[in-house]
Amino acid sequence: MELGSKTSKGKLVASGIIPFAFVILLIVYLFGSSGDLLDVGVSLPEVTIERINFVDGEIQATVRNTGHIPVEVVMADVNDRIQPAAIEPDRFLNRFETALVRIPFEWNESEPYTVGITTEDGTRFEKEIKAATQALKPSGELVGYFAIIGTYVGIIPVMIGLLWLPFIKRISKAKYNFFLAITVGLLLFLGIDAIEEATAVSNKFLAGSFNGILLIVTVVILSFLGLYYSGNKLVKRADASPYAKPVALGLMIAIGIGLHNFGEGLAIGAAVGLGEVAFSTFLLVGFALHNTSEGFAIAAPMAKGKPMIGKLVGMGLIAGAPAIFGAWIGGFAYSPFTAIVFLSIGSGAIFQVIVAILGWIRKEDDKFLASASVVAGIAAGMLIMYITSILV
Amino acid sequence: MKNSKTSIMISILAIVSVASSLYFIIPGGIEAQSEEKTFVTHSGSIVRTTGEVLDPLYTSATMEFDPMEYLREFNYGRVSQLPDGTTLREFTIIAEDDKIMEVSLGVFYNVWTFNGTVPGPTIRATEGDMVRINFINNGSKSHTIHFHGIHPAEMDGVFEPVGPGGGQFTYEFKAGPVGVHPYHCHVMPLEEHIVHGLYGVYIVDPKEGRAPADEMVMVLNGLDTDFDTENNFYAANTIPFYYQHHPIQINTDELIRVYVVNMVEFDPLNNLHLHGNLYYYYPTGTDTVPSFYTDMITLSQTERGIMEFEYDYPGKYLFHAHKVEFSEKGWVGIFLVKENPENSLQGVEYGTGE
Repeated sequence: MELGSKTSKGKLVASGIIPFAFVILLIVYLFGSSGDLLDVGVSLPEVTIERINFVDGEIQATVRNTGHIPVEVVMADVNDRIQPAAIEPDRFLNRFETALVRIPFEWNESEPYTVGITTEDGTRFEKEIKAATQALKPSGELVGYFAIIGTYVGIIPVMIGLLWLPFIKRISKAKYNFFLAITVGLLLFLGIDAIEEATAVSNKFLAGSFNGILLIVTVVILSFLGLYYSGNKLVKRADASPYAKPVALGLMIAIGIGLHNFGEGLAIGAAVGLGEVAFSTFLLVGFALHNTSEGFAIAAPMAKGKPMIGKLVGMGLIAGAPAIFGAWIGGFAYSPFTAIVFLSIGSGAIFQVIVAILGWIRKEDDKFLASASVVAGIAAGMLIMYITSILV
Repeated sequence: MKNSKTSIMISILAIVSVASSLYFIIPGGIEAQSEEKTFVTHSGSIVRTTGEVLDPLYTSATMEFDPMEYLREFNYGRVSQLPDGTTLREFTIIAEDDKIMEVSLGVFYNVWTFNGTVPGPTIRATEGDMVRINFINNGSKSHTIHFHGIHPAEMDGVFEPVGPGGGQFTYEFKAGPVGVHPYHCHVMPLEEHIVHGLYGVYIVDPKEGRAPADEMVMVLNGLDTDFDTENNFYAANTIPFYYQHHPIQINTDELIRVYVVNMVEFDPLNNLHLHGNLYYYYPTGTDTVPSFYTDMITLSQTERGIMEFEYDYPGKYLFHAHKVEFSEKGWVGIFLVKENPENSLQGVEYGTGE
């Protein structure tokens, strides 16, 4: 019996590996002599300028080979005028390899610049920056500045939103379900908003070879599944006590919103870092209004539990503080790839929270989606978000 | 048991996917070159780099085509006498269109050539000479040679396309009028055949000759290396910035004569500005009396002429398009004016004061 299970295991392993072996054989075959057979069409070089930094007397461009063939970078230009430049580590770029092109240039603050890169076959690739601003260097002052922005955008609005808790506590069951449904509407909007933002980043900064849209879809679903799995465990553990369940649900919502705010902070930091946004008070007000509803989303399920100020504040921090970290990373170490990944994680997290809240509503209200209060709530939530989003 | 195995599998999968995505995301890679290079830009800023320097402005590449050689190379052909005493000048010009040439530092471009170069050979005859061009097309497309000047219609190189793979045609005409003229392929699509490099200069000297001078040819041209109907490079004699890192050496008090032909396509106008001096300009070179004394001429497509000047003071003088975009994309050069050796023989030196 022992022996039998061992051989069957061996067979299992072998049957799992054999297809891989054939795939490797196929690859070797295609790259080998028979490759010429399929060599029709022309592979064109493709270079993407991912990031442009303006430092003292120098314009720095991060370039990546996003095509299917190795390329050689031979020339740089600013505004279509040839400039001497340095390239680090070297001018030969394999697929997906990056290099830093340093162009000595006395640029002028807030003027637009187009940086061009020419490859060995004479093809030119360019990227435009609408207004040159000195690249941000991590300084104590700037770290503080981003922390303040993150606090205004993340923590304070969420905390204000939590103040609805006593109100929600006092209302009837039907009205309570209405407010819970508002939360669903708010979150639905946020989840879609994050996907939209990730798509915008992908279209603007990410080379086509990264398959931006598929990246978003993949990360959203993985994030959803991961959080659904762990969230379920959390809720199951909380099932023991009737008071723990609202806390568990609130925590899940807080984590989901926290991940979302991390992505939002990233986008804000990046916009400031790339010189695309002058952060105005108006914009701050918009974000603050928009995010107050996030606090409400946490407060709604918590209203069913015991009043726990400490836990509530903790959740506010979990939901709001990631905006600060996001702003730091976005401002000092922006990469479109990570921005898209985090925005998508946030989106997946929020969809997971929506599913959890809908499950909660289903238990509370027999009519579920056929109930007027639930439908009206979801609609109201989405409308609130849409209207406040216009301010951002 | 089963559970732990799946979790191991999942974690391996996760590690592999994270590692492979990091490989794509982290810029640069691990190996870095240790030695530092320094370069000074023409605005004076010093750049230190651990990488490589990309400087087409001041780095001289070893080019297949030598603009310095082309500058003063005139082809008078194989000379013989016709029974009536007319001088016959025979030339052989071979067209090709498969050559990939380094045109600027590291930039490779498919040039179409007459006798292997862009521009093609400078053909020179005296007014009234019989010019015979044995044209062979070794290219993969039809080509012709269309000369500007006076000749019979069937010698115009327009309606007689010469087939690829060894097609032949003999152009024969009496040299005239006096001046500097372009020649170029006239097969459709014409713009494509011209911008790839099928052109050259044809000079007709007056019978009485011109005053002795240090003579040179400058074809002002552009290169559209990415085929977007905008020039990526401009130059005098094809190679951008060439005469900047290889200044043209001339002497003070010596007559300089430049045959200048504008072959730039896409941009309607080109121009030429000379520093520290003015020149006499003979449009198309057809007249013996200059039309202008200027430091700036404007040239439309195939517009050309003769410039004559002398420098009084030695030193470095720029010449370039005053359409600065063109000069910043390669159409810029330097005359390095040296004290005329004849002057120093006479003991006259610049700047000695008393």
